[in-house]
Amino acid sequence: MKEVIYEVKGVSKRYGSVVALDGASLKLHAGEVVGLVGDNGAGKSTLVKVLSGAHMPDGGQIELDGKQVSWSSPREALDAGIETLYQDSGLAPHLTVSKNVFLGREITKRGLLGKLGFLDSKAMEEKAHSELERVGIAVPASNRSVSQLSGGQRQAVAIGRAVAWARKVIILDEPTNHLGARQAGEVLQVIKEAKKKGLGVIFISHTLPHVLEVTDRIVVLRLGKVVRDAPTSEFTGDTLVGTITGTIQTIPEEDA
Amino acid sequence: MSSSQQPNLRLERFKAVAGNQNSILLSVLIALAIVFTLAEPKFFSVATAGNILTDWGSIVLLAAGQTLVIISGGIDLSVGGTLAISGVTSAWVMSTVLGFDITTSGSDAYPPLLVGGLVAIGTGLLVGLINAILITKLRIVPFVATLSTMGATLGFAIIISNGMPIGGPNDFSLISPINPTWMPLSWAVIGVIIVVTAVGLFLHKSRFGLHTYAIGSNSFAARAAGINVERHLTKVYALAGALAGLAGFYVYLRLGAGSPSSGVMRELDAIAAVVIGGASLMGGIGRMMGTIIGALILFTVQSGLIMAGVAPDWKKVVVAVLIAAAVAAQTLRPQNRAR
Repeated sequence: MKEVIYEVKGVSKRYGSVVALDGASLKLHAGEVVGLVGDNGAGKSTLVKVLSGAHMPDGGQIELDGKQVSWSSPREALDAGIETLYQDSGLAPHLTVSKNVFLGREITKRGLLGKLGFLDSKAMEEKAHSELERVGIAVPASNRSVSQLSGGQRQAVAIGRAVAWARKVIILDEPTNHLGARQAGEVLQVIKEAKKKGLGVIFISHTLPHVLEVTDRIVVLRLGKVVRDAPTSEFTGDTLVGTITGTIQTIPEEDA
Repeated sequence: MSSSQQPNLRLERFKAVAGNQNSILLSVLIALAIVFTLAEPKFFSVATAGNILTDWGSIVLLAAGQTLVIISGGIDLSVGGTLAISGVTSAWVMSTVLGFDITTSGSDAYPPLLVGGLVAIGTGLLVGLINAILITKLRIVPFVATLSTMGATLGFAIIISNGMPIGGPNDFSLISPINPTWMPLSWAVIGVIIVVTAVGLFLHKSRFGLHTYAIGSNSFAARAAGINVERHLTKVYALAGALAGLAGFYVYLRLGAGSPSSGVMRELDAIAAVVIGGASLMGGIGRMMGTIIGALILFTVQSGLIMAGVAPDWKKVVVAVLIAAAVAAQTLRPQNRAR
């Protein structure tokens, strides 16, 4: 196995009196796909927000490439090479595909106009198209607004954007939600491609067959704690469900 | 497809032009001008156009800022109050601090007027920043935050001026920039056109504009894409405030005085112009050209009705009906034209 690129150690997060994360730890290696599963309210979304810089944890450590980091905004995590696809709400529907791909990283014109923030829309359109194609996403036209795309096409654009920009880590929260079988298969293919390129992928899903198909390792969260962290080969569909719901007893992993 | 491509293309192009928001708005504007001319032939004159454009100048400044705010998913009810407090503060500084009075004439008046203009813009900017703090730091929804500043600014405008207009010099040449020199255009209106064009270019061509659309479209996605949403909204409300301050100075030039009542209900006109122009109050949709034509439609209707003999008291009713009609038209349109 390659080196660890992204790691959280014993992170906690509380919202008022609700403990969302209780000392959760997770390790991600380069070229590895880790599945993050758990029931509703297990803390998956909170952990995603901590990993993506959207929320600051109350306790614990985050390390990128072995160095301790602390994100005060999503911008900092993005700049460090960590891309996140949030469940259902990653795109601005009124903007075109290319503007969405380049949102937050716009290409500006050269010279004075560029200094004033004027955009080079043509360059963004061309590049968005080629970037999406590069990561294996076929999008009809990058100058259409996202609201005119089907649900599957939107999801494809969102994933394509994350994969195209990611330099180290991609966090995908329910990327196969609302997708048909064929489209879901394409998403899983994109994940495998990203893995091949040496990116670390965190894959969050309720669709356990997808998790079993695409991941190398599965981390199970329950009530804000990691209750199991093991290679995917050690799980079957049934044992995974049992671990998630708690019908299969687990010994809390000691930090290895 | 291949054999009938030519006529299809032409039809498509016709549909695109005819269905375009600006074409629809321009058609409405022309239709209104024809109707009012039929009702009162005197309506069709350079003088009427000059009056409409002079009225348009103050409101389109408010509406330009309002366009940004509404596209970002918010609303600014304080622009009328900001106009008033900016005009009054500017007039107060010019008359009390800079000794600007009815005897001031000629080139002596230029330095105070310049300072007055800056004071007006600065006052508007300050109100905009207060709006931004209420919205981004205290997390008050824009409607309530700007409703508060609307009350406060209208109140302060009366306090500063003791409820009376603060006058300037009697020398009317000083306020000549407001008089239509280039019938029907005045220097002031030309200035407004330049400012509004610049704001429109920033909205549609720059990163600032793109982020404004993105926040109004899906603020969560904007944040996730690394945009500092709070800082951006601060800029949006500050700019809207500064434009309202500039509008306050425009109205000062127009009246020759800073009047505390000059801002009452002006936010209604501004919002009407934006909504008639096709922006969505849900955010993410709108064009500056729509707002510009929307404001023209608003004043064409108002001055047309007055010339046709309708009592001026009906003005606000008409504006209210136009807002309702524009919003209904937007909601009823099968697919809202997205950007």
